[in-house]
Amino acid sequence: MDLTPNKLWIRILAATAFLFAAIAVCLLIGSVPVSLFDALRGPTHDGQSNIPYEIIVHYRLPRMVLAAIIGAALAASGCVFQAILRNPLADPYILGISSGAGLGTLAAVLLGWSWTVFGMSAMMLTAFAGALATTWLVWGVGRAAGRANITGLLLAGVVVNAFLSSVIMFLTSIARADQVQTTMFWLMGSISEMQQVEVIAASGLLTAAGVGVLLRLGPSLNMLSFGADEAAALGLSVSRTCAAAFAVAALMTSLAVCLGGLVGFVGLIVPHAVRLVAGPDHRQLIPVSALVGAAFVVIADTVARVVVAPAMLPVGVVTAMVGGPFFLILLVRYMRNLHWQVK
Amino acid sequence: MLNVGETTGDAFKRSVWVLAVMSIVLLFGCREQTNPTEPVADGAMRIVSMAPNLTEILFALGLDDEVVGVTRHCNYPPQALTKPKIGTFWQPDVEAVLAGRPTLVIAEDFAQQRQLTEQLERLGCATLTVKIETIAQLYDGILSIGQAVGRIEQAQTLISRLKAAQDVLQTSIADQPPLKVLWVIQRQPLRVAGTKTFINEMIEAVGGVNAIGPTVNVYPPISAEDVIAAWPDVIIEPANMPNSREAQTRSAGEFYAAFRSVPAVRNKRVYVIDGDLVSRLSPRLDQSLAEIARCLRQD
Repeated sequence: MDLTPNKLWIRILAATAFLFAAIAVCLLIGSVPVSLFDALRGPTHDGQSNIPYEIIVHYRLPRMVLAAIIGAALAASGCVFQAILRNPLADPYILGISSGAGLGTLAAVLLGWSWTVFGMSAMMLTAFAGALATTWLVWGVGRAAGRANITGLLLAGVVVNAFLSSVIMFLTSIARADQVQTTMFWLMGSISEMQQVEVIAASGLLTAAGVGVLLRLGPSLNMLSFGADEAAALGLSVSRTCAAAFAVAALMTSLAVCLGGLVGFVGLIVPHAVRLVAGPDHRQLIPVSALVGAAFVVIADTVARVVVAPAMLPVGVVTAMVGGPFFLILLVRYMRNLHWQVK
Repeated sequence: MLNVGETTGDAFKRSVWVLAVMSIVLLFGCREQTNPTEPVADGAMRIVSMAPNLTEILFALGLDDEVVGVTRHCNYPPQALTKPKIGTFWQPDVEAVLAGRPTLVIAEDFAQQRQLTEQLERLGCATLTVKIETIAQLYDGILSIGQAVGRIEQAQTLISRLKAAQDVLQTSIADQPPLKVLWVIQRQPLRVAGTKTFINEMIEAVGGVNAIGPTVNVYPPISAEDVIAAWPDVIIEPANMPNSREAQTRSAGEFYAAFRSVPAVRNKRVYVIDGDLVSRLSPRLDQSLAEIARCLRQD
C-alpha cells in the first residue's frame, strides 16, 4: 500500500477524468431533451435566442459546477473531521454546523427576508452566518473542556446540535405551512440554478484553496491517525494542526451548506469509500475524495432533476438513497482494506 | 395557613367547606364541558368553522350571527375578523372550540381536522366534515352545509349563481387559443401548482392550460430548466400574505429576469394576484375566475 508519487498522480488524474466525464454526460441529461449539436450553434440562432444553448450554458452548467463545488467541499472536510476527531462516524455536520445553518435559514424565512447580495439570498447568508457561529461556539466550548480534548469537542458538538435542533423544531411548529415547506426543502439539500457567475467562481476558488491547505496538512493528519500522543511524540504540534484543519474544514462546510443546504451523506461516505478503495493516506485521500465527492453530487443532482420530472427531488434524498447501498457494496467488497493508519 | 388560635376542628370544618364549594364549581364546570351541544337559552344555532373557505360559505349563506368561532386565518368577509378564534386550520384548539358551545362544528376532510371532530363527536358535539378540493366538491360542500344549517334555498341560489358565472366565462373564451399558465406558489424552491389541483381546474375554466404536465407531487418543486421547458405564456403568482402583494410584484421583476427568454417574462405577463381570493375554493369562485381570466386576457 505504499503511496508513490506516480500512484498518487495517476489516481488524482483518474478521479479528475471521472469528474469531467460525469459533468459531460450529465450536461446532456435533463427534463428537456437537448441536443449538443443545437447547443453548439451559440447564443442566437436564426435571429432568435437558442434555447438548447441557454438551457445547457445558463441552467445546467452553473448548477453542475455548483454541485461539484458542494460535493468537493463536503467530501474533503469529511476526511478532515474523521481524521482530527479520530471517529469513523464523523461527518462535516457532526459538530453542529447543520443545525446552526438550519436555524439561520429558518430565521431568514420566518423574518420574511427576501433581499439578495451579489445574487446570494438572505437564506444563504444567514445559513453561512449560523454555521460559522455554531462552529465558533462548539470550538470555544470544546477548548474550554481541555486542550486537544477530542471528547469534549465531540460532546459540545452533539449537545449544541441537539439544542439548536430543538429550537428549529419549536420555530417550525409555529411557522406557516409555506415557510415550513421552504425550510424543509432546504434542510433536505437543494441546489438551485439562480446563482451569479461571480458567486460560483468565488466559491470554486475558495474550495480549491481549502483543499490545497488541507492537502498541505495531509502528512500531519497521517501522523494524527496514530493517535494524539503518538503524533506528539513524533514531533507534531497536535493542537495547532487540529485548529488549522478544523478551521479550514468548517469554513468549507459552511460554504457548501450556504450554497446547497444540507446535502447529507456525501461527507460521510465518500471519504470512507475512497479510503476503502485507495487506502488511508491523507495526501491522496483528500484530493481524491474531493474529486469523487464532486462527481457524486453532480450525478446525484442530475438524478434529482430527472427522476420525477418535471418535478424535482431534494438532492440530499438522492445522495442518501444512492449512496447508502453503493457504500454497503464497497464495504463488503473491500472489507480487508478497512484500516485507518498509514502503514 | 392555620392561625395560631385556631383549633384543628375549625380547620377541618373549613376544609370540608372549601372542598364542597370546589366540587360544586367543578361539577358545574364539567356539566358545561361535557354538554357543549346543549342548546343555549334561545335555542339558536351556534356554528364553528374550521377553515377560511368554510367561513366564507357560512357568511354567504347569511349565517353572520350564527357563526361563533373561526380560525385565525379567516379574514373574509371582514365581519369574520370580529368572531372568536379557535386556533388555525392545522392546529385547531379543542378547548377554544368547546368554549364557543357550538351546536355544529364544520371541518374539512384533513387528518388534523378529523382528529378534532372525532374528539368532539365523543363529547356529543355535532360535526360536519366536507371535502372541498375540486370545484364540483365546492358545490357539493355548499349544498351539504346548506342542508345541515337549514339554508338549502340560499345554498342552491349561491350554487346556480356561481355556475352561471362559470358558464359566461366558458362561452366568452370558446374561440381563443389556450394560453399556457405557470402558477407559482413559492419561489424558493420554485414550486408550482400541478395538474391535480383546483387551481388547474380554475386555469382551464378560464381557457388556459397548465404549463406543467402531470407530476407525482400535487404542488411540485421544479427546476429552472423546467420553467424553460414549460414555456409559459403567463406566470401567475398568488401573494403569500394579504399585505405582501406590492412587495412581491416589485421583487418579481428581478426574480423572473433569469427567465427572460420565456414568453411570459419577455412579454411582461407575470402577475401577482390576491392569494386569499384565489388560493381558497370559496363562494368567491366567480371573483377568482374573473381575476385569473383578467390575467389571461390582458394583451
